[in-house]
Amino acid sequence: MEIFSVKNLSFTYPLCSNKAIDNINFSINSSEFILICGQSGCGKTTLLKLLKKELTPKGEISGSIFYKNQTLSELDNRTSAEQIGFVMQNPESQVVMHKVSYELAFGAENIGLPKDVICRRMAEMVNFFGLNDIFDSEISSLSGGQKQLVNLASIMIMHPNVIILDEPTSQLDPIASKDFISVLRRINAELGITIIIVEHNLEDVMPISDKVIVIDNGKVIANDTPRNICAALKNINENHPMLKALPTPTKIYASLNNNKDILCPITVKEGKDFLEKNYKSDIKELPINKPSHSNNIAVELSNIWYRYERNSKDILKDVNLKVYKGEVFSLLGGNGAGKTTLMSVISGINKAYRGKILINGKKIKDYKKNSLYLHNIAYLPQSLQTVFIEDNVRKDFDEVCKLMKYDKDAKEKIILSVSEKLGITHLLDKNPYDLSGGEQQKCAIAKMLLLQPKILLMDEPSKAMDSFAKESLSEIIKMLKSDDEMTIIIVTHDIDFACECSDRVGLFFDGNIVSYNTPNKFFTENTFYTTSANRMARNIYPSAVKCSDIIKLCQRNGLINE
Amino acid sequence: MRFENYNPITIFIYFLIVFLITMFTVNPILLIISLIGGILFFISNNGIMRFLKDLAFYLPLFVLIAVTNPLFSHNGATPLFFMNGNAITYEAIIYGIFISVMIISVMYWCKCFGIIFTIDKILYLVGKISSKLAIVISMTVRFIPLIKSQSKKVSKVQKTMGLYTGNSYADRLKGSIRVFSSVLTWGLENGINVSDSMLSRGYGLKNRTSWSPFKITVSDIVLILISILLGITTLYGIYSKSLEFNFYPYITEVPTFLMSYISYSVFGLLCIIPFVIEIKEIVKWKYFLSKI
Repeated sequence: MEIFSVKNLSFTYPLCSNKAIDNINFSINSSEFILICGQSGCGKTTLLKLLKKELTPKGEISGSIFYKNQTLSELDNRTSAEQIGFVMQNPESQVVMHKVSYELAFGAENIGLPKDVICRRMAEMVNFFGLNDIFDSEISSLSGGQKQLVNLASIMIMHPNVIILDEPTSQLDPIASKDFISVLRRINAELGITIIIVEHNLEDVMPISDKVIVIDNGKVIANDTPRNICAALKNINENHPMLKALPTPTKIYASLNNNKDILCPITVKEGKDFLEKNYKSDIKELPINKPSHSNNIAVELSNIWYRYERNSKDILKDVNLKVYKGEVFSLLGGNGAGKTTLMSVISGINKAYRGKILINGKKIKDYKKNSLYLHNIAYLPQSLQTVFIEDNVRKDFDEVCKLMKYDKDAKEKIILSVSEKLGITHLLDKNPYDLSGGEQQKCAIAKMLLLQPKILLMDEPSKAMDSFAKESLSEIIKMLKSDDEMTIIIVTHDIDFACECSDRVGLFFDGNIVSYNTPNKFFTENTFYTTSANRMARNIYPSAVKCSDIIKLCQRNGLINE
Repeated sequence: MRFENYNPITIFIYFLIVFLITMFTVNPILLIISLIGGILFFISNNGIMRFLKDLAFYLPLFVLIAVTNPLFSHNGATPLFFMNGNAITYEAIIYGIFISVMIISVMYWCKCFGIIFTIDKILYLVGKISSKLAIVISMTVRFIPLIKSQSKKVSKVQKTMGLYTGNSYADRLKGSIRVFSSVLTWGLENGINVSDSMLSRGYGLKNRTSWSPFKITVSDIVLILISILLGITTLYGIYSKSLEFNFYPYITEVPTFLMSYISYSVFGLLCIIPFVIEIKEIVKWKYFLSKI
């Protein structure tokens, strides 16, 4: 049965000349798993909001949206609330009540279910989602992943027919986001609930979707099964930018000009099969470039111990680390391993109770007042909104310039050069809250650069970024390294990102750095904790860790049957 | 069933009656009964060790209040000695002691109330009057830790940019104002999301029902009736002047009418209810364990 049908839909925001949605047509059948993707700002969130009556933004709409053969705008409020659920991006800010139990009940109370029905459905939800342990907890004590599950459960309790999700995993760490996606798959497969999801990390979602809709500039440019989407995009443009956002196996397939008979792989398993069946493996590895950095040590930690309170347990246990000048060092590790704590100790926010930290050869204790932060260390936090205090970016920059005591000309000059470097000159007069994640990050980095740091610490810089923003971030990192000889320390969950941009990678576990090496050696030695590209190719090209490595190797080796 | 597991309405009515009587009587017997009841309840909830530890706070407080009254109030007919030309009277000392008993017993009852009456129970009670108000309270309870952690984050990050780290008072004040305003913006931004989320889950539809983890059971009704009955009897005792007692100008005899004895025992029963319920529970539990 057709559940949504969108005909000639266009939408324009007030005071905008461009159409945010431009003549879109598609239909969605019940029980389908629909993935909507596109570059940031392409109109996918607007489209989702148009599908949910209560959230329809103000603006000019033409065309029509039908929900079960009924015009959506004429749908009765109760039915809309009950049957169409909406999960938003930020797990924190869509929670209404203070406890999990009350949050679950909230929607059910609104649609007027009797108390005993609410109790029964709640019991069902708690069991389905495995929320037993947290049912009676305060929301503030939960992790991001748990919060997002609660958000989903509090919609499921109303027994919806469709669930619409707007980048639900972008704020979660990789493990939590995999869990969340697998719950979605269960809801779809076991209960037949239609799922419409917007995502930018397609690695896990695309294999389980029935259909992928690609939006570009407010238009649907492709609407096909995951297996055919690659060909559909290539038909439009051989180097379509969206090809880069596809899952690793599909991306590799797309860059190698295959003949059309070979099936397009969408999972690592299929990708592995694809490589082994089709490509020779005479050349096993590429020549490796030596990492370029000086031999001067920028940051040195010796025997660092840290705990938050006198009676709590140690978070950092005897950490030793040397990072060289002009080096990009990434520290990987699971949630709660203490990575962020390590950052806070290096940046001087928290003080280690034992051990020594040398920043550019000088003890961290000997930096008086804010001298540690001027011309020295800058720290880019995870939540970028904490960086900006003023209501426009330029004012925030001015604040830093005042601190650095630049005179008027020098100020203009440095702001201009930094903004040009990062490509944000057009964003200077905007409110930081109006920027997209990627833009916000560039502005935040620019604010740090005004402090002329020699060492840049970055906490989860690739979180909530789409593949394009990630790519430009890794360009920026490379540029800072080569132009300014900046030392960059990154902590992240994102294996692929770390592999792409670092000189050395380390694994943080149980309060300590258990191993570190160049990305190539590090990931080749690991079996599970490695990039999907490496997992895909390790049988034939054991030391290839990046997508680009595999593509190069495949091209040099050539096809088997040629 | 433990006392805290009774319905919030029951618990609220019980505490209301005990508070009312304790605060509006000056009869020393009633005050002592109330103090003993409060302490027993406290012990049954927190254990004797905690009570003994807390004595280090309550005993000095008791003495302080008791001593303060005669220093400032010079009423009473029996001066014991003079201090700076002011009479320290026997009546004022005794009155001070019993005011102290009253305040300490109210504090104990308040402590018990605070421990038992969690935010959920408040929500339940408020929700009976207005479900909107209940939601507002719940959102506020959720929002406070959120705001706190956000402002901590913001000021840390600003510090690592070397901003607002000066030692001058003005600089710091300026810093905290900026941080506050940024957190406020963040809060508004958050608020828009919350309201979207509420709307999309049908907030504002007619015939809203209300869920809560609490039920009214037969034992609730029994306990409510008992509390009201015992409370009204005591209040009648006060009303009928059979509990009348005066400190000034002379300390009167403790009343010993039939009605006074009835009131003492009835109020004693009322104050000891939670303790008895808790003890019954402990005994029952031990008994069950011994059978296993």
